[in-house]
Amino acid sequence: MNSIRPTAPAVSVIALLFAASATLAVAPARAADDPVADRAVQLAKAYMKKNNLQTVELNMLLNSLFRNAIGDFSARWEKLTNIKVVSTPLGYTDIPSKIMAESVAKTGSFDIFNDFPYTMPDAVGAKVVIPLDKYAAVGKPDFSGIADGLKFQQYYNGHLYNFVLDGDHIILALRKDILDNPQVKKDYQAKFGKQPGCPATMDEWEQMAAYFNTKSGDTRWGIKFDKPMYGALAYRSVNFSYRHFPAYYGGLLFDKDMNPQISTPEGIEAIKKFTSIVKYMPEDVQGWGTPQIYPFWGSGQAFSVMSFPSIVGYSNSNPKSEVKGKVLSCLIPTVTWKGKQVRRAPQAAGTGYMVNAYSKHPELAYYFIQWLTSPSIGDEAIAHPKGFWDPFRKSNLTNEAILKRFGKQHVDTTMENSDYAVSLLMIEGNYEYFKILDNNLAEVMNGNMKPEEAAKKIEAGWNRVTEDIGRANQIKAWRSGVDSGMYGAKFSDM
Amino acid sequence: MSEARIAVPESAPAGGSSRRRLRDWLAQERVFRLIPFVLVEVVFLFVIIIPFLLMVYISFLKWRANRPFEQAFLSGFGNYEQVLTAPGFWSALGHTFYFAGCAVVLELVIGFVLAMFVSRTVRARGLYITIFLVPMMIVPVVVGYNFTMLYIDSGPINQLLAPFLEPLGIDPRIRWLSDPAAAQWAVILADVWQWTSLTFLIFLSGFSALPKQLINAARVMGATAWQIFWRVELPLLKPAIVIAVVIRSMEALKIFDPVVLLTAGGPGTSTQTIAFYLWEQVWVFNKFSFGAAASILLLIIFATLIFFGIYLLVRQSAAVAQQRAP
Repeated sequence: MNSIRPTAPAVSVIALLFAASATLAVAPARAADDPVADRAVQLAKAYMKKNNLQTVELNMLLNSLFRNAIGDFSARWEKLTNIKVVSTPLGYTDIPSKIMAESVAKTGSFDIFNDFPYTMPDAVGAKVVIPLDKYAAVGKPDFSGIADGLKFQQYYNGHLYNFVLDGDHIILALRKDILDNPQVKKDYQAKFGKQPGCPATMDEWEQMAAYFNTKSGDTRWGIKFDKPMYGALAYRSVNFSYRHFPAYYGGLLFDKDMNPQISTPEGIEAIKKFTSIVKYMPEDVQGWGTPQIYPFWGSGQAFSVMSFPSIVGYSNSNPKSEVKGKVLSCLIPTVTWKGKQVRRAPQAAGTGYMVNAYSKHPELAYYFIQWLTSPSIGDEAIAHPKGFWDPFRKSNLTNEAILKRFGKQHVDTTMENSDYAVSLLMIEGNYEYFKILDNNLAEVMNGNMKPEEAAKKIEAGWNRVTEDIGRANQIKAWRSGVDSGMYGAKFSDM
Repeated sequence: MSEARIAVPESAPAGGSSRRRLRDWLAQERVFRLIPFVLVEVVFLFVIIIPFLLMVYISFLKWRANRPFEQAFLSGFGNYEQVLTAPGFWSALGHTFYFAGCAVVLELVIGFVLAMFVSRTVRARGLYITIFLVPMMIVPVVVGYNFTMLYIDSGPINQLLAPFLEPLGIDPRIRWLSDPAAAQWAVILADVWQWTSLTFLIFLSGFSALPKQLINAARVMGATAWQIFWRVELPLLKPAIVIAVVIRSMEALKIFDPVVLLTAGGPGTSTQTIAFYLWEQVWVFNKFSFGAAASILLLIIFATLIFFGIYLLVRQSAAVAQQRAP
């Protein structure tokens, strides 16, 4: 038998191929072509070396929605840096109170807090989270391609406290299969003089909701409806209404001296519009949150839904969904503000990361956050099949994995929608302001109160909170937020 | 009374004398008998007295947790004034009494009827007792979650009610969790479902303890079943009834779990109870000093009511004891 002896050139080629394949194999573990992620890794390693640390364990109080996805990223970070990130998942409604308890207890049990951006103002006031500017000056994070309404949620009084990795600005989704029905097109054209499609204004959305609202047992456009098809679906329960209300209100909720602008003709009009469309929604909608709204939309019993962008992904990926491939994503419709048409897509939730002031290694906590939210790793997170991070950065438009997960039409629409993203109130005591709004909107929806009366009560309640916290303090934060552009409108627009 | 002493060996090592003296001192009966008391009092001091005094102190401060505690300052009775003028406080208190009143009455009536039925049942008594006690043993979170599923407008409860409501022209799609009045009853019924077990247990023990000779004597004297129940059994069951009323009222006034799990206080504030209101003020809005002041005011209100309840209980027990005396 002839033995095959490798020649020297062959050995070199094999060695080169081996080296190349080894490099390729290692590549996914690095943040390829992403200096932001790479810098975070190198700086974390340098910190470990400088402080003579072999391994470090960081603890993160995690929004439980991300429990099934975060492990993949923590494991990669540990492989890269020897820093273990242990996550403690908790329901998002319970996280703010844990953070505030930490402000009193000062234990340093958690290094990183993960929650809605709206938790930040109170946490900053309580000095339980630290400004990250000095770390960012070295780490140089990249916030390019993020719309102002989302980007400036990371700042409070001009300082960076929070890294946001989620575009939860609300969108409108319609039933494409209904809109594509030839009979629907014909009838709609005959009635409204235009083809049915994404509504331009909130008024038009309500008009469509009224038109498509169908009772159980009816036959329309050649379709027999065994179940009712509600014209509209949206969040109208306590703890959710406030997240959607800014879509109906084009201006700023306060003037530059924190005087509420809700009891104005525009504010009252917004309350009327917000509550009026409820008659085309399921009767029980005031008691519904996401666990009810998503499956209901998936069951095909609504023509349109205003929701978080992830509802489109849910429609397409849930095995029980009856609207798979039948959803058209739309920009949030416009509202009239001082005679102008303005579009406001409130960032209704979102997820962000802050560093505990009592952490033993705040710098390391910062580097992990910078790495996780960097353009490359952030995109991977958004594309993660078990994650709940939604597209929010322009780079998402060309990321194959994200396009595959969410669909091109949805990514294109949600990214265009992000240009109109506005923040909810980013001032101390915001949850109390929100609750006052929610309670009074509920009273209007239940017919117990006129919009004008509700507006007066909201105004009085908001003033009470402002005085309790300190008007000067609130004015400073409010003006800083408005000037950044996170609320869409400016004082000069008022 | 002689003092017990523990004999200490002469050859005890040097340096252990102070320990020995301590042991001797503790071994004295007048000291030894106080040890359990002191331990309990120490626990009481750290678990109740100090936190309570701290709460009183905080109630006089101006402090929201969105400011460091170090920045808090004394504000006199400002928080008390805020609580007493807060419309949410009084409306939540009103809801609490309404829920407690309705729930406790229903729990007493249903628990009493079930206990009477079971006490007179011979076959499968143990099975009935087990079944009727199950709700009380279920974790409130599970109860709340299950009821949210049962209450949805196209859910099983409305489907069960439909055949009865439709002929009367009533819409069978009751909005249990989003209509203000229906949501209040949704909370009450969930509480009744879970806690009727407790009143059932109290009444069952009351029925079991009824003196048979009295009932037999009444029967021999020609009393009807109704007369036996009304004139013999019910008066003897009064202490059990008062115990059930006091215990359930105390608990029902703290109703929290079903509110959080079913309605989160909504729609609007229609199901906001005082426990929920306080939780929200403190843990959602970070108004710690406001919450402390409200808690103290509630303590005064509820303590008065409970004192009155216990007074009734004691008076009732004394009256029964007097009746039974030869």
